[in-house]
Amino acid sequence: MRARVPWWLLLPALLLVGAFFVLPVLALLAGAFKVDGVLGLGHFTAFFNEPLHAQVYWRTLRIAGLATLVSAVVCYPAAMAMVKVPPPWRGLLTALVILPLMVSPIARTYAWIVLLGRNGFANTLLVGSGVISEPTTLLFTEGAVFLGLLQLMMPLMMLSLVSALENLPADVLAAAQTLGANRWQTFTRVVLPLTQEGLIVGGTLVFTGCVTAYITPALLGGPKVLLLETLLYQKVNVAGDIPAASVIAVLLLVTTIAVNQALKRVAR
Amino acid sequence: MNNGISRSALCMLVLALVFLLGPFVVIFVAGFSADETLAFPPKSYGLRWVVYLFTVEAFQRSFVTSLLVGAGSTVAALAFGVPVAYALSRFDFAGKDAIKSVLTLPLIVPGIIVGLALLDLMVLAYALPVTWGLLIGHTTLLVPYTVRVVSASLANLRSDIDDAAVTLGATRLQAFFKVVLPNIRGGVAAAAVLAFITSFNQVPVSLFLTGPGVSTLPIEMMAYMETSYDPSIAALSTLLVLFTIVLVAFTEKLLGISKYV
Repeated sequence: MRARVPWWLLLPALLLVGAFFVLPVLALLAGAFKVDGVLGLGHFTAFFNEPLHAQVYWRTLRIAGLATLVSAVVCYPAAMAMVKVPPPWRGLLTALVILPLMVSPIARTYAWIVLLGRNGFANTLLVGSGVISEPTTLLFTEGAVFLGLLQLMMPLMMLSLVSALENLPADVLAAAQTLGANRWQTFTRVVLPLTQEGLIVGGTLVFTGCVTAYITPALLGGPKVLLLETLLYQKVNVAGDIPAASVIAVLLLVTTIAVNQALKRVAR
Repeated sequence: MNNGISRSALCMLVLALVFLLGPFVVIFVAGFSADETLAFPPKSYGLRWVVYLFTVEAFQRSFVTSLLVGAGSTVAALAFGVPVAYALSRFDFAGKDAIKSVLTLPLIVPGIIVGLALLDLMVLAYALPVTWGLLIGHTTLLVPYTVRVVSASLANLRSDIDDAAVTLGATRLQAFFKVVLPNIRGGVAAAAVLAFITSFNQVPVSLFLTGPGVSTLPIEMMAYMETSYDPSIAALSTLLVLFTIVLVAFTEKLLGISKYV
């Protein structure tokens, strides 16, 4: 380690990110707090005076929260099984969990359109088995958005939990059982406290990912089931309302940062 | 829960994998449908919609745009990111953590905000071509990836080998290009693949930075879906999935990309 860093190594990247990322984003966010050139919260009150907007915000939080919860409940046992799979299969499983992260989210979301559409698999099954007489609307519902987001983000929870569980010494579990703990007690008193960091990381990634996802709510929710991201797009491209879009941008950032910090605090 | 796997946990793993990978099977089956409109399971099978893809000019044009933007922003992100990774791993200085945080911001701030900010405050304000906004937006997004992956690669390389080169008479720059770079080329290549895939799949940043004439493939796919309900997007998705599998398997074999994700 040498003491004097050649600044020309760092300067280009810092200038790039400063000029074309930090400044424009700050300027956009600042726009939310300026009404006719004067500082004020007018755009926020105007935004939340519209019941639809508050509803969209609440829906975004609800779906993201539920997806985080469900992915944790599913991935904990799944990850515990995965770390015990013997090596050659283990690598394959890891690859199968990582691969979806590399594939275009459009391709991944489109499968749900195929499954849930009017002539999709779910409707064919339901009508064929006589549960319903006519194809029903499954697409453009909150359920569809939830399923799509869960499938999109679950690998992140899975990978975080697997790496946390890998670092869990095997003899701790044996010790707990020797001392008479049943499975549930072993999980809540030993596994959970020792791997909570992985849960926090995974939870943050899944929640943030859901709040900031655009493709999935756009394709599976459409204009009927708007989330913050799709509402922002609509505000710009349909209404041309940049102040409202800046308000949503502030909400998106504040929400993700707040959840980030809150989860970090829980971990301490 | 001794050394064996509990049965219920194993069931959950299988369920999770079916949930994660099932959609790919659905896409593959639907992609080889020969039906007029999208239905599942399809009534007939064939390559009809795969062939059709190659006749749609909008897909071809946007595919080329995506390749160019992906390649351009990957090269740019490496040019900006590799020096940073080198400085971070070889020097100790005040403000190091601050620089790291600033350079991870593009991963935290939602892409749609970046896209809108670039459109509103650069492209429109200075009447720049949209393509510039697209390239700049993608490059700033990719810099954190290249910094992280190349840093991880440099961490595994002893720093005294470039000192040795300097002692033997090389300049710092020569030491970097002749000694350091050849040793981290695996990491640089992995960073390039990861960056390219990220750019190629990117939607939120591009959303506001595309317009008539300039569009990336994912944006074009979303636009097509709004008006048409045929299986062509399933066929295109199938090709994209296969393309990604080949690319990832290839780089995994060569470089072990999963270390860096």
